[in-house]
Amino acid sequence: MEAFDQLLAQAPARIDLAGDLDALATLEAELVGKKSLIAETRRGLGRLPAEERPVVGARVHEVLRSLQELLDHRRSVLERVAEDRLLEQDRVDVSLGGYEPSIGMHHILTQTVDEVVDIFTGLGYRVASGPEVELAWYNFDALNTPPTHPSRLESDTLYVEYGDPSDEMLLRTHTSPMQARYMEQNDPPVYVVVPGRTFRADALDPTHSPVFYQIEGLAVDENITFGDLKGTLAHFAREFFGSERKIRLMPHFFPFTEPSAEMHMSCYACDGSGCRVCSGSGWIELIGCGMVDPNVLDAVGYDSSKLSGFAFGMGAERMAMVRHGINHIKHFYENDIRVLRQFT
Amino acid sequence: MKLSLRWLKEYVDIPTDDPLEIEGVFASLGHEVEGFEVLEVPFSKVTVGRVVEIEKHPNADRLRFCRVDLGDGDLHEIVCGAWNFETGDIVAVSVPGAVLAGGLEVGVRTIRGVTSHGMICSAAELGLGDDHSGIMVLDPDTPLGADFAGFVPFPDVVYDVSITPNRPDAMSVIGLAREFAAYYRTEVRMPESKPVTIDRPSPVEVTIEDTKGCPRYVGWQVDGVKIAPSPIWMQQRLRASEVRPINNVVDITNYVLLELGQPLHGFDLDEVADHKIVVRRARTGETLKTLDGVDRELDVLDLMICDGRGIVAFAGIMGGEESEVTDSTSRVLIEAANFHPPSVMFSSKRHGLRTEASARFERGVDPNLPALAAGRAAHLMVELAGGEALADVRDCYPSVIEPWTVDLDVGEVERILGVPFDRDAVVDLLSRFRMEVEGDSPLRVTVPTNRPDLTRPADLIEEIARLHGYDKFPETLPSGPAGGLSTSQVRDRRVREIMVGLGMHEAQTMTFLGRSELDALALPDDDPRRAAIRVRNPLREEEAYLRTTLLPNLLKAVQYNVSHGLSHVSLFEVGKVFLSAPDPDDPRVPDQPIHLAFIAVGDTGARGLHSTPRATDVYTSTGIVQALFDRLGLQVRIRQAAPAGFHPGRAAEVLLAEEVIGTIGELHPAVGRAFGIEGRVAAGELMLAPLLADDDWWQLEAPSTYPRVEFDLAFVLEERTAASAVVQAIQAAAGDWLESVTVFDEFRGESIGEGRKSLALRLVFRAPDHTLTNEEVAPHRETIISAVAEVTGGQLRGV
Ligand SMILES: [Zn+2]
Repeated sequence: MEAFDQLLAQAPARIDLAGDLDALATLEAELVGKKSLIAETRRGLGRLPAEERPVVGARVHEVLRSLQELLDHRRSVLERVAEDRLLEQDRVDVSLGGYEPSIGMHHILTQTVDEVVDIFTGLGYRVASGPEVELAWYNFDALNTPPTHPSRLESDTLYVEYGDPSDEMLLRTHTSPMQARYMEQNDPPVYVVVPGRTFRADALDPTHSPVFYQIEGLAVDENITFGDLKGTLAHFAREFFGSERKIRLMPHFFPFTEPSAEMHMSCYACDGSGCRVCSGSGWIELIGCGMVDPNVLDAVGYDSSKLSGFAFGMGAERMAMVRHGINHIKHFYENDIRVLRQFT
Repeated sequence: MKLSLRWLKEYVDIPTDDPLEIEGVFASLGHEVEGFEVLEVPFSKVTVGRVVEIEKHPNADRLRFCRVDLGDGDLHEIVCGAWNFETGDIVAVSVPGAVLAGGLEVGVRTIRGVTSHGMICSAAELGLGDDHSGIMVLDPDTPLGADFAGFVPFPDVVYDVSITPNRPDAMSVIGLAREFAAYYRTEVRMPESKPVTIDRPSPVEVTIEDTKGCPRYVGWQVDGVKIAPSPIWMQQRLRASEVRPINNVVDITNYVLLELGQPLHGFDLDEVADHKIVVRRARTGETLKTLDGVDRELDVLDLMICDGRGIVAFAGIMGGEESEVTDSTSRVLIEAANFHPPSVMFSSKRHGLRTEASARFERGVDPNLPALAAGRAAHLMVELAGGEALADVRDCYPSVIEPWTVDLDVGEVERILGVPFDRDAVVDLLSRFRMEVEGDSPLRVTVPTNRPDLTRPADLIEEIARLHGYDKFPETLPSGPAGGLSTSQVRDRRVREIMVGLGMHEAQTMTFLGRSELDALALPDDDPRRAAIRVRNPLREEEAYLRTTLLPNLLKAVQYNVSHGLSHVSLFEVGKVFLSAPDPDDPRVPDQPIHLAFIAVGDTGARGLHSTPRATDVYTSTGIVQALFDRLGLQVRIRQAAPAGFHPGRAAEVLLAEEVIGTIGELHPAVGRAFGIEGRVAAGELMLAPLLADDDWWQLEAPSTYPRVEFDLAFVLEERTAASAVVQAIQAAAGDWLESVTVFDEFRGESIGEGRKSLALRLVFRAPDHTLTNEEVAPHRETIISAVAEVTGGQLRGV
């Protein structure tokens, strides 16, 4: 029994001296293995007088438990040290960069269109689309634009060869033909936005492209007023360009709205004091708009004496150019991945 | 149009000189200012002097030596090279220290041995014109010794104002003055338009053969004009408006056009045969040499001004050479006519002739303006060209156009504008725009004949809003019904999301194609994609057709990127194509379905220092399509096929509910090469609509918690047997417990025999409600083996 006391007294220091897992295993064999004092004592228990057996047995058990505890603790320490060493060897230079998953980007025009559309669906608008090859009737006549109007000239509008030549067919020059189409197919009230491609006979230059995107808005209901037009566009400007934006409407002319206006927005870059973005004026011309001309309502069978409405049309490229400092419209249609990648 | 602010201020009091404030007034009235230029006095220290003595220069034949009185008691000695003045003439003199236009400083100079103390100035030296030919001889009443700066039309501001096409009346200085008068609640001062006349019968005869094309023709004869340069102030105003001064008579007609908005033409009456003016349509085969020197073949719809011999002018557009005013002209016939806008527009467009006159007639000029404008021009010719205006004026105006009335309900104003306007407010606003208002409900509004844009209540409401000020209206929001995206619109967005998630960049390519691009796709002659709709007036032949497929322009975009050194390019586009069949929803227009197309080239997959990308091939395409449809919850079938333009052995049709909705695979190498792309090109083009259709909500299948049983099978098959056929046979025969079947190896070799291949498949079985035993699965294994043999002829490979 004294040997056990001695063993227990020396064990902690000896165990702590085990410098690695191998040394610990050797020590463990010596202390609690098959040839250890404890194992031998256990094996000899049967030969002891009956009255001593339980005392010695309890003592052996107690010593074994204490030693095992010390050994397990030391092992976990040594294991952690060993793993730390392994991990240290596993070190890499994380600045080398990761495995780059291929992730695409949405085109900035779709992003812009979606974002604008979401602002208006939030106001209760629906979304419609319409034909890009369109009857001249919807593109012009239904919009109060007579056959003599200069915008109908071939220098402005692209015509296509299709169908009966008496139905003049063209590439729509704006999304406004959907005003008439939508009202023909839907009863009032109408709150709709129409995004889509539009076309003009313009060669590509920094601000013109034969193909461009427009987003049309149309609200026709009882008691729609000029103030509603102003408030709606102000809401849009604040949602899309920031809550500090102010707008102003300036008188303008479109054949299919009366009164007509051009919406100007306070410059987001200088807040109105004048800078390069706004050409020094403090304002950015953004959206053509106006109250729907009664002739347009009458042409689709809406009662212009009871209903009124407003319409607006904005260029998606223009919105994106203003917001992202894009200085040439070619960037939208060249599909240079070095540019597409920036459309976050 | 460009106009001088000094000119504008001659007719209306503007209580500010701040150019920016005035720009703001233009804009708030709807006349956008494109820009303005401030013009300072172009010289300094130039004095009015009188030439007292002129001697020959002792050493130079071309020069003269003058003594000039500048009112300061001295006689200033000046050497001068001009000969167009006499002793006693009043001239502008720059003394040493003066600065001339262009910055030249005048000093004391010795010219051929004679000292000159300054210069006698020409108009060009003072920035008052182009005339270098001689010095400027001033009005004899100009006070001696005065600073000449007080007698020139400077400083000034020149505004470039964009006039909207509905406002022909505003294309004149008076028209804009009226806008300012309305804004500032003041009156316009009209210029003198009643010349002093003499009573002498005029021999001029005017006949209008086409009164629709020409509702009115005024001819005013002015005799005895002396052709000379027009005064500096007039030249300056014309120049500010970008009209080149020519001579006093021509300048006066241009001046009155800009001033009043009435195009005028001046004929040399002695060149008008028989003193006859006839307005008629041209006849087949007739020609006219216009003032720009071009011989023009005329159309029977062109409206012409003719004399006793033939055509002399293009009505409303441009005069002819023969009857133009020249230096020897003495009798002038002023034409002030009104022409039908569509007629002028037709001829102007047909002949590519756009002039200040045609721009105004196209939009509509007040038919009641010609007499006033002709009188104004005659007055100026009397005052500035020494002419005699005849009282015997021709005015053919068969049906006089009277001011019209519009009935306006005051309540309408509030209904549209959203702000209450009482009768007084409406009357005030409309009358400031020169409308007369009578009555109560409705108001009866009489519109002046220079406002063809005002014919309906809506037009008047716009005028009310414009003058009231758009900025005074509140910002309100309508209370509309609920809206939002439709299911198919949501799915449309999801398709793009998935494609982007699959690593592709979204592209937007042009709608146009050239013939050669359809050829490059190697489509057969009868392929419907070849029947592209043609643009009647294409910008370029390469853009003469509407795309019937998205692939060519997408290929060009890919090539563009490859040529910029990108090793991997993968693009997709969602957009309309244009087919020659009618649109099922509106047969009046062509079918314009939306397609989804993609192209990938180069290596694919994750890239990094330690990762190895894989080369793009047909499986890139099938993988994309499979993933897309899986994520959309749609059962797609990919069936080997050889569609046009694709690699004959590496392409497929995509089927949804047994309908072919597109083709995918690798493009034929020849197609890639035709677009300048080497290597394998994975591509596909699908109809979008079938992907957006509403379907039932998916229902949860709870995964089984019991362990699985799996085993492998390998079959020897004919080379052409599709793996999908084996998989389908297994799926059909395996029973409900089959969880998955995957091909994990494809093998060819001598041991199997030529023209054969072996496919190895792993089958996983799992029951939802208990642990499967091998004994339970074994019978299925046998069923599957015989089913595969039956359907595909595949034999189990030696186990
Ligand atoms: Zn700014």
